[in-house]
Amino acid sequence: MAEGTPILRIEHVTKQFGKLAAVNDVSLDIVDGEFFTIVGPSGSGKTTLLRMLAGLDKPTTGDVLLRGNRVNDVPANKRPTCMVFQSLALFNHRTVGQNIEFSLKMRGVSRSERRERCKELMKVVRLPEDYYAKGVTKCSGGERQRVALARALASDPDIMFFDEPLSAIDYQLRKHLEVELKDLHRETGKTFIYITHSLEEAMVMSDRIGIMQAGNLIQIGTPDEIYTQPLNKFVSEFMGEVNTLPVVIGADGKFDCAELSAQFIGPAQSNRATSGYLVIRPESMRFLNEPSQADNHVSGSLFNEYAMGSRVQYHVRAGNQMLVVEKLREQAFQGNLNDDVLIGWDVKDSVLVND
Amino acid sequence: MESRSKRWTKSLIIVWTGVIVLFFFVPIAGVIISSFGKSRYFRFPVRSWSTKWYDQTLNANLTENLHITSFYVAGCVALIAVVLGFFGALAFARYDWKGRIFYQRLIMLPIFFPQAVLGLALLLWFTYVGVLPSWEAAVFAHLVWIIPIVTLVISIQVYGFDVSQEEAAFDLGANRLQVFREVTLPALAPGLFSGALFAFLLSWGNFPLSTYTSGADSTVTEWLYTKMSSGYTPMIPTIGALSVYGSIAILFIGYLLLIARRRRNEKRA
Repeated sequence: MAEGTPILRIEHVTKQFGKLAAVNDVSLDIVDGEFFTIVGPSGSGKTTLLRMLAGLDKPTTGDVLLRGNRVNDVPANKRPTCMVFQSLALFNHRTVGQNIEFSLKMRGVSRSERRERCKELMKVVRLPEDYYAKGVTKCSGGERQRVALARALASDPDIMFFDEPLSAIDYQLRKHLEVELKDLHRETGKTFIYITHSLEEAMVMSDRIGIMQAGNLIQIGTPDEIYTQPLNKFVSEFMGEVNTLPVVIGADGKFDCAELSAQFIGPAQSNRATSGYLVIRPESMRFLNEPSQADNHVSGSLFNEYAMGSRVQYHVRAGNQMLVVEKLREQAFQGNLNDDVLIGWDVKDSVLVND
Repeated sequence: MESRSKRWTKSLIIVWTGVIVLFFFVPIAGVIISSFGKSRYFRFPVRSWSTKWYDQTLNANLTENLHITSFYVAGCVALIAVVLGFFGALAFARYDWKGRIFYQRLIMLPIFFPQAVLGLALLLWFTYVGVLPSWEAAVFAHLVWIIPIVTLVISIQVYGFDVSQEEAAFDLGANRLQVFREVTLPALAPGLFSGALFAFLLSWGNFPLSTYTSGADSTVTEWLYTKMSSGYTPMIPTIGALSVYGSIAILFIGYLLLIARRRRNEKRA
């Protein structure tokens, strides 16, 4: 295959349900072997987009190209792709083995060969060998995940799709399975396209992330790019707790924040915006002894503190804003609730975004 | 005290269950006991015992024909009702379409219609279109009343079926027919089975619809009713008892088949 030809190309794909465009003019190239995650809140169109890539739905307009060939009209059972469903969609009336072997049986693979392949896959997804004859309804949540994974892998697809398969799993196990999934991606070398509403989950696993909002793919980038340069307020807030300060940029280039009755030095603007939101990540916020220790400062009072394992988070009330400061546990702030505190950040740690 | 009230609840449950079981089975037991009585009349307590009515019943060709007619009617009703009820249930519980709510209400109506009136209405209608009363006409009459019930029974199974299983099968390379055979049908099989069972039993025990529409082809229930209202014979409890034995035998065979299938599956896995 020619260098640079994407395994999957999405060209101006739109899906219309009545008057509503669930997916609106999305274009995207997926590189062979990458782990791409589409993130968005429910109703943002990410599942609809995935279903069109899998061949379960057809685009209203636009094209889906698989290794350069238009596949709009190729149904799911004829595509070299496989999906792990949100509900997992295991065949409940069948055993673990029968579930995993399903695609092989449909292809007419002999029983002994099927069984051999199934045992291999069970090893790959770390299912105990004696689960072969167990009914899937008797498996635990995590085991069912593994069965669904093995079943999808059995058809040896070029691309694996994941429709929020971890959303119904409790936190501990989910963290564990995220890591396993990333390892599986490395071991198999297949292209993984994953959707989730958790940017945190996406950050852990993905090579690249695409953010969807109301049917539009608004930003594509590596986890690092998304983290440090969010496109707008929506993306920055989607990533969890950040400080977003509404600002107006004056003629003198200073950032006026009416809510805090303060003036800040902001990052240099190339597009000459006149207003927006100044985004500062909690870990870039510092407690100061005196204003000169940082480019910008705000005074407030310590409202509360939260221990979060390796980190401690502080909420500081300033004006009618609640600012978030995060520190490593061993560098915890020594102070009492309701203490007057001074916090600040440097220009390089702030980003200006629009609404 | 906690344990004391618990013990109370437990004994209440046992008593309650016992009473209900008695309530259900005493009449049946009564029929079976009296079928072994020697006297010509249905009376309690039984004074002398005999199996002569069994000999007579089993030797009379009459009841054999009755059972065959009832069996034909119930068998045809079960088969047709499950096929139509299956598609009806898909429309009822699975697909979202414009007239669905109206359809869901409409299909319930025949159940609430008094059966005796429904039977007469059907007879008048059959006469009008020129269909002679016969067991085939009775099948049709039964279907009018039984299909809605079977549709509801199967719908419950359809509601519980995760449609994404079909999509998953399709995505894994199965064609439409394979999806149906490998996933949809096995997943809905318990519902289809109970639908068929319901249809068969409701048809087997139906009197008001049969009496108007079956014409010369008498079913077991019709014969029992006629004999009870005029010309009682001790063969009646005997036939009743024989039906019970038959049901038990069928249940037992079904249970054995189920065990055999489970064994075979375990061996294969």
